[in-house]
Amino acid sequence: MGAPFDITYVIGYLPKLLSTLGMTLLIVGGSLLVGIVVGFLIALPRLYRIPVLNTLARVYVSFFRGTPILIQLFLFYYGLPEILKLAHLDISRAPVLVFVIITYGLHTGAFMSETIRASVSAVDRGQVEAAYAVGMTSYQAFTRIVLPQAMAIAVPVFSNLIIALLKDTSLAFSLGVMEMTGKAQTLGSLTQHFIEAYISLALIYLVVSLTLEKLLFVAERRLLRHEQSDDAEHRRFRLQRKNSYRRMVASIDSGKGGAEA
Amino acid sequence: MKLDLSFIWTALIQLLSAIPTTLVITAVSVTIGFIIGLITALLRIYRIPILSQIAVGYVTFIRGTPMLTHLLLIYFGLPMLLDALSAQFGWSFKSSSIPMIGFAFISFSITAGAYMAEVIRSGLLAVNRGQLEAAYSVGMTTPQALRRIVFPQALAVSLPNLSNSVIGMLHGSTLVFTVSVVDINAKAQIVASTNWKFFEAYLAAAVIFWGLTLLIERVTAVIEKRINLYNRGGVA
Repeated sequence: MGAPFDITYVIGYLPKLLSTLGMTLLIVGGSLLVGIVVGFLIALPRLYRIPVLNTLARVYVSFFRGTPILIQLFLFYYGLPEILKLAHLDISRAPVLVFVIITYGLHTGAFMSETIRASVSAVDRGQVEAAYAVGMTSYQAFTRIVLPQAMAIAVPVFSNLIIALLKDTSLAFSLGVMEMTGKAQTLGSLTQHFIEAYISLALIYLVVSLTLEKLLFVAERRLLRHEQSDDAEHRRFRLQRKNSYRRMVASIDSGKGGAEA
Repeated sequence: MKLDLSFIWTALIQLLSAIPTTLVITAVSVTIGFIIGLITALLRIYRIPILSQIAVGYVTFIRGTPMLTHLLLIYFGLPMLLDALSAQFGWSFKSSSIPMIGFAFISFSITAGAYMAEVIRSGLLAVNRGQLEAAYSVGMTTPQALRRIVFPQALAVSLPNLSNSVIGMLHGSTLVFTVSVVDINAKAQIVASTNWKFFEAYLAAAVIFWGLTLLIERVTAVIEKRINLYNRGGVA
């Protein structure tokens, strides 16, 4: 199958694939933005237990977690123009990238809402009560007290989500978007050096996801500053840091970051 | 919109024939993945010199790259490697005798192994160290202590994550269309290609996957209840 293995191709392909890294990151960034908005919209009815919306949100999350992203991609690609035609909106000529970002956004939103919900419920109830006691409105209590703490709890799971999303974008090629995987396939079929193309592809994904992980770890440290105050002096005496409640909650994964794509 | 409801039903019936393929791929990759994961996790927990570093590298690499690249690497790389080896040693083995689904089995097992390794490792670490010490103090050997005391508790802890991994592999199995194995996803494409009703066909496929996922979640909930019986606390 193909030409004999030649290591120089692996290096030669790297810059060519890197030229499409922007597209991959654009999909990741775009769908992350959509996902955060959708995630909040879905999580709030569930947190405040708004009757009908609560049920709808549950069905939404269940659907997006219960079907493969590949099926969702095709479903939205073929279905969204038809549905929007009902509202007299013609998007059948919109670029494929739009469909891809919408689908990944909605998909990520479902997982994001679970993360938001879990981390908001993990904030001690007393914090909200204390906020009310000093006279904050419920909006103030949420944005000033709950949200910053919830964010710190959510970051580890959030970072898993982003990396999973990065890996999932490798499926966008199936709709014909020229991102890294699509580019690798094209390069492979041009020269018949498939395996070399995929090795460089894997290397780039690996470096990007490790970098993202490191960056998000730094962010987590920063957000958890308020918890670390007396840690430095204690560390010498403990072999292993005692698992805090926060850590335990954070390790309750939303289920994403599993073996998908 | 002209949604053809009757075609969704037709597609659903036709897609049923592809469910076994999807389930077989999932089952094989999860089973072999569990074994690989268990070995990898034990290597890392017992810090066996060189092997544990290899295990770390394996888990990092697999978790840092998309499942699709694993499949493509195995699909293109393995025949090359095997053919080179059989030319070297004069085996009569030809890589073309491997069925397409074999590549899916191999690559998905490798993928599942890395994810399972992390799940199992966190499960094993969650078991209190005192349990192992207690097992030693009543005279159990290490394998006995692991098998009788640690593993059952670790399994209970990691069951939710394991079920997520199984669901992940179920969803990941849709990737086999790239190596021309006909699973539910590929079947949907085939069914729709006769009359271009892709939306209806994928809707049917989505319903099947949704159902399978909910089924796995239900079964997990039942097993979890059963397996956590010892952990109910209280006095009765």
